[in-house]
Amino acid sequence: MPKSINPAIRDFLDGRIWLRLHTPFTIEDINQQIEAGHIEIIQGIESKLVFMNRKSYTCNRCENTDQSKFTIFNCAKCEASCAYCRNCIKMGRVASCTELIVWKGEQPIYPTSHTLAWEGTLTPRQQQASDDLTRSQEINRSHLIYAVCGSGKTEILFPPIFHLLKQGKRVCIAAPRVDVILELEPRLRVAFPQTEIESLYGGAKPTMKASQLVLATTHQLYRFQHAFDAIFVDEADAFPYKADETLQKAVRKAVKPTKPIHFVTATPSDKLLVEAKSTGGISIINRRYHGHDLPTPAYISLWKYEHHIQKGRLPKKLTDWTNERIKKSEPFLIFFHHIGFMEKAEPLFQLIHPGIHSVHAAHPDRKTYVQALRDKAIPGLLTTTILERGITIQNVQVAVIGAEQRIFDKAALIQIGGRVGRSSAFPTGDFTLFHNGITYAMDEAKSEILKLNKGGGTNPDELPFM
Amino acid sequence: MNCLLCEQPKQSSPSWQSLIAIEKSTLICEDCSNQFKRVDIIEVGDNIDSITSIFTYNEAMRNYLHQYKFLQDIALAGVFSNELKQALSKKKAIIVPIPMHPTKKIERTFAQVDELLKAADVSFEDLLIKTNQEVMGEKTREERLSMSRLFQIKPQVEIESTTYILVDDIYTTGTTMQHAALTLKEAGAKTVHAVTLIRAASEQ
Ligand SMILES: [Zn+2]
Ligand SMILES: [Zn+2]
Ligand SMILES: [Zn+2]
Repeated sequence: MPKSINPAIRDFLDGRIWLRLHTPFTIEDINQQIEAGHIEIIQGIESKLVFMNRKSYTCNRCENTDQSKFTIFNCAKCEASCAYCRNCIKMGRVASCTELIVWKGEQPIYPTSHTLAWEGTLTPRQQQASDDLTRSQEINRSHLIYAVCGSGKTEILFPPIFHLLKQGKRVCIAAPRVDVILELEPRLRVAFPQTEIESLYGGAKPTMKASQLVLATTHQLYRFQHAFDAIFVDEADAFPYKADETLQKAVRKAVKPTKPIHFVTATPSDKLLVEAKSTGGISIINRRYHGHDLPTPAYISLWKYEHHIQKGRLPKKLTDWTNERIKKSEPFLIFFHHIGFMEKAEPLFQLIHPGIHSVHAAHPDRKTYVQALRDKAIPGLLTTTILERGITIQNVQVAVIGAEQRIFDKAALIQIGGRVGRSSAFPTGDFTLFHNGITYAMDEAKSEILKLNKGGGTNPDELPFM
Repeated sequence: MNCLLCEQPKQSSPSWQSLIAIEKSTLICEDCSNQFKRVDIIEVGDNIDSITSIFTYNEAMRNYLHQYKFLQDIALAGVFSNELKQALSKKKAIIVPIPMHPTKKIERTFAQVDELLKAADVSFEDLLIKTNQEVMGEKTREERLSMSRLFQIKPQVEIESTTYILVDDIYTTGTTMQHAALTLKEAGAKTVHAVTLIRAASEQ
């Protein structure tokens, strides 16, 4: 048997941790590379005995150690008691008798010849942030870009990414939500026309190339190990990433040891801010690209709205707000806290205009409806928080129904408001919080927006709410 | 514990049910549970005395089966335990799961019908062996019926002149059930009923 490397397998497997029996290659080809010593086999689930002879399990793919997420069963394959991990099961089950494989042979060499075809220019503040980020990368320091919604965060990343690519480094942009990845992909393909780019999210087929720039949902990083020289986490404060420790571990596992993880967000957590401040790896942009203020929220009380909508009555204030948008031909998004409640309201809104529809994370027509809104084919959409980020619709107006609901925390409200007035052609717009009582989160969001508009936050030592 | 399907925390609503200690399955949340639609249909088939199906095959059920069988998430075996237990407790009978081909069982690492019954705490007897691993979907109805029997009785097993209930996860064309029922009847079974979790629409 020749010891030769199969370059297709190498290019696919480099940096990945994969199920031995579910690769895009034949079992024989994989076996040959294992025999040649280029692939290492890792047991799927490891167990160790702890207190009172109980077993404690670790998933070697997603590094989950939450014991409640392991199921133990009598396995017909290994004919023993076998454990599997439910945390990463959507990517193909990993059980005790599952073999994972990683590439340990000679590494692929990534090209150093790239072009940055983006033709815009950075504002002086964007340029500063971009330079700061490049410097942090050079000293392997994690960097936080704290930039308000609509300040051109992605463009800030172009020069540092370009710099890394030209050194033959491998780069990942990760985001908790697939919508963000889908919006980023075409922009990056235009900006880096010569670069091998791959987008990974649930349902996307991996390309078989050695992709140097990977765009991935944070979930997809369960399947990477020590792959990247830098990871940029976009919208680092979004669900599920901010609440799921295994996703945070996945990002750490996917980056090469000692290499940095950078964060980009308009609404950083206090923890992220404190960490970034302590290392000095932070840049703040409190102005939108076009220089106009962030829209401040208007509060409108809507007492017992849940009761009225459940009873089939749409409160007049909502009808008025919606009619005004339609009269002015302004596209709109109305945010709801709960799918079931939103679907109760949908037929009531359709009495105002039959083109109004609702979307949520699992809605099969979500992409179509969002595109229809962009194309002005429909007047507006009802949505869950799934559309709070990463979406740009020219001249969109925004309302929240039930802004006092717990899901609308400070970050969510700032992000929702951030949908408004993004383009220089329409730099302002309506941002209304319909509520059944004003919450702390609503006031926090409003005063942070006011503070940023006044110029607060430019200096890391004067961060709002620190 | 979070809901096994949507992973959201389950709201525990202390109701009259918990007060008088009626045990209900708590593996999935109310929102997910509401997605499954009951069909509660009883049909009569050739060689089979009755076929009872509990749920329709809608999108939620398709997703459930995908995760349970294709993603091999055995934890989901107990999601319909209450319904299955109830449907099987009506008659006094010997309960026989439709078996998997041994090769297929090793591939899947578990037998899905056995696991449904185990999770529902229903005692059953593995009396049948699957003899043939061919995929049904590629055949016409005539071909399916003319095929040699799909099952045989396990060696050393005596079939009594009594009532048996066959259990399967999904009922589509009925071929599987016909073959299994006929096998039991030819071996001496007096009555053969069937219970399936799901009734899928048949193309015929
Ligand atoms: Zn796992
Ligand atoms: Zn096993
Ligand atoms: Zn659920």
